[in-house]
Amino acid sequence: MSSLRTEGLTKAFGGVRAVDGATVELRDGRINGLIGPNGSGKTTFFNIVTGMIRPDAGRVLYRDRDITRHTPHRVAHAGIGRTFQLCRVFPRLTVLENMLVAVRRTRLRELLAGLRDRGEVERARHWLRRMGIEHLEDAEARDLSYGQQKLLELAAVLMAEPDLILLDEPAGGVNPALIDRIAGLVRDLNAEGRTFLVVEHNMDLVMGMCDHVIVFDRGAPIAEGPPSVVREDPRVLEAYLGV
Amino acid sequence: MRIASRGLPLLLAALAIAYPWLVPNYYLVYAGALTVMYAAMATSWNLLGGFTGYVSLGHSAFFGLGAYGTGLLVTRLGVPWVVALVVSAVLVTAFAAGVGVAAVRVRGASFVIVSIALVSMMNLVVQGWRSLTGGSTGLQVPSPFPGLHRGQTHMVFFYAFLALLALALLVWWYVSRSRFGAGLRAIREDEDKAESLGVPTGAYKVTAFCLSALFVALAGGLYALWFGSLDPIFVFSILIGSYMVLMSLLGGVRHLFGPLLGALIVAPAGEYFLIALGETQIHLTATGLVLVLVVLFMPDGILARLTRRRAGPSIPDQSADQRLQEVTP
Amino acid sequence: MSLILQGLALGVLTGGLYALLASGLSLYFGVMRVVMVAHPAFLFLAAYLTYTVHTAFGVDPFLALPVTVPVFFVLGVAVQRLLVARLAPDNLAMMSVLLTFGLALTIEGLLGTFYTGSYRSISMEYATRSLTVGGVSLPYDRIIAFAVAALTLGVLFAVLVKSRFGRALRATIQHPEAARLVGIPTERVAGYGFGVGLATAAVGGTVLALITPFFPASHWVWIGKLMAIIVVGGLGSVVGAALAAVLLGVVEGVVLVTVDATWATMMFYVFVFLTLLARPQGFFGGRLAHRF
Repeated sequence: MSSLRTEGLTKAFGGVRAVDGATVELRDGRINGLIGPNGSGKTTFFNIVTGMIRPDAGRVLYRDRDITRHTPHRVAHAGIGRTFQLCRVFPRLTVLENMLVAVRRTRLRELLAGLRDRGEVERARHWLRRMGIEHLEDAEARDLSYGQQKLLELAAVLMAEPDLILLDEPAGGVNPALIDRIAGLVRDLNAEGRTFLVVEHNMDLVMGMCDHVIVFDRGAPIAEGPPSVVREDPRVLEAYLGV
Repeated sequence: MRIASRGLPLLLAALAIAYPWLVPNYYLVYAGALTVMYAAMATSWNLLGGFTGYVSLGHSAFFGLGAYGTGLLVTRLGVPWVVALVVSAVLVTAFAAGVGVAAVRVRGASFVIVSIALVSMMNLVVQGWRSLTGGSTGLQVPSPFPGLHRGQTHMVFFYAFLALLALALLVWWYVSRSRFGAGLRAIREDEDKAESLGVPTGAYKVTAFCLSALFVALAGGLYALWFGSLDPIFVFSILIGSYMVLMSLLGGVRHLFGPLLGALIVAPAGEYFLIALGETQIHLTATGLVLVLVVLFMPDGILARLTRRRAGPSIPDQSADQRLQEVTP
Repeated sequence: MSLILQGLALGVLTGGLYALLASGLSLYFGVMRVVMVAHPAFLFLAAYLTYTVHTAFGVDPFLALPVTVPVFFVLGVAVQRLLVARLAPDNLAMMSVLLTFGLALTIEGLLGTFYTGSYRSISMEYATRSLTVGGVSLPYDRIIAFAVAALTLGVLFAVLVKSRFGRALRATIQHPEAARLVGIPTERVAGYGFGVGLATAAVGGTVLALITPFFPASHWVWIGKLMAIIVVGGLGSVVGAALAAVLLGVVEGVVLVTVDATWATMMFYVFVFLTLLARPQGFFGGRLAHRF
């Protein structure tokens, strides 16, 4: 079944077309990589899919439902979660409070429910344990190291129970041990049925982790396929070397 | 420590209830009622300002509308005062919902500008619509308790404002412990991030805006019934709005009792200035200077100073890697 | 019809003055991302100082400018260096509004204490007559106000475009980090930016004193008006603010002659709310607007 499908997405900033007719299809249950040189429109693509930027043209479909121009929280409710390039947590909330921000659906009863609702707190602790940061639950997020914040951000996204998770440079700015840990987590979460779309510049990570790789250049995909195939594709080399 | 933190509010509540009997004259009852009114308003303001970080300098618009709504319902339609108070507050809340939809579309400084525009606008409307509101000559509202003398009226309204304060505190406390409250705080920290986690930030902000307006409108209605005479320039003054902000900031916007503490300092100080210096404008300068000092040196408020956790990051960086070694097979 | 024409003509003249009064706000926002709520309070501080110079020495109000302009420039630098620059950067937008709001209250209180709350005005004989062109009568005081505004804005733009300081200032506005990297002392430049902004307030205040009676609380109306102008124009866009100033001036002028003064002022707020509903970033650019 198709997870995410975009048709002819286009977005221009001033005269520059950051995303230019991007048609992409992700199948359910895969770890997809999204690579491409700087400025090829990967993050803008993320922002359009998650509703943070409105496209000039084109459609976004998730599980065959049209979610183009949905507000970001409705995209989240549809089952798409995301992390940000420069990891974003709520600095002056505690780790546990960070975990309890996510809203799965807007029901009055749930909103009025106490923050310390036992079921939710248990779910939060479960994810914190899987990230290995459960001992920090009472610390303010701003006191965490960058790597810990990255783990917290991913854990908080998981609280919304997304089926598709967009990761924007999960390995950016973290040490090699943590990169391995994050890669392991992504594989485990994928084995449990979650689909991933990962923007990443660390090629070893992309090639080692992903089932399928899409290459962006100048705002649209120029090649895609299994890592081994994409690695040999001359168009990809050309895009990266900028001939 | 725990007993102290539980017992202290109870002790203060008992003191507040006994206050009118402890003071030697009715002037102090009046000053007390005024202080509690400001405390209730600042706490209501903090439902928006403290949780979401949206600083409104125009909350006196809701105060004035609540006051005029109650006054007009009583004088023009002969509605019983309790009904007038409630109906007026509900109408103001509905109005706030409409304004809120437009206002919370902008953040930060733009929002502050909009809130200032709102109160200036209401001031113009009320002064311009002479046939209904009496214009700049004001509106006279008959006392709901004609049998009581002035001092006894002060006592009644002292308790009315105290009840309103208790209600506002209760709501703030409840919101702070709810998932709704977590969402509002997340908006303060990083609005786009909150939205991406599924928080309907627009609806949350408008709800907080309305809740906050509701209690301020109730305070305005009580004020109309208490004072019996409404001056549009006073009830729609930016000064009342800035008092709410100053009190909350001074006490600490992240704390339940922050605005109350701020009101307990600012309101009596204002009354003292009025007595000591008379009707000059220098009290504006005093308010302005205190605001400047608070913003520069104590933006998190007194309570944050008192309850500050030990300085610096509490988790050493290397512990992350140590933990990793432990969990990585 | 001639009434409308009259309103239009007056509106354009007033709009020119609004453009001058709002230009300082664009400067502050540009260099520091600060919304300076105290700007109108400084305008009336200048108006009162002009009044004092005028009544004490019996000289033309414009002769106060050689005194007030440098004083206000220094004041502006001081406000930036001693107050605004000390605010924590993480919540600068909000805190700066509160800080400058406190300044506005401080100034209003001082003016009320020294000059009492009653109205003051400066009337010059030459400013009371009108020029009649094709059935439209244009008061000389408005023409003078427009001319002074145009001249001041012209000088301001020339400084911004031609001088080394202007280049440094524009670089600081566009990209503070990059400006710092190429050796521009951005903090000092931001201070001077504030100085120039307040210097425009000195000129604007003198003009205001000439065309309208004033009292210490007058600045609140102007906060509303000037903020409306920069919101409609798009925060941080100097050209946008000027266009919005003329637009709102004309709307105000036409409503003033066709309806009444209350509705004329109300138009500013109506435009603010319409702008927010339709285009929160402002109508003439300023893509940064809704973030600040």
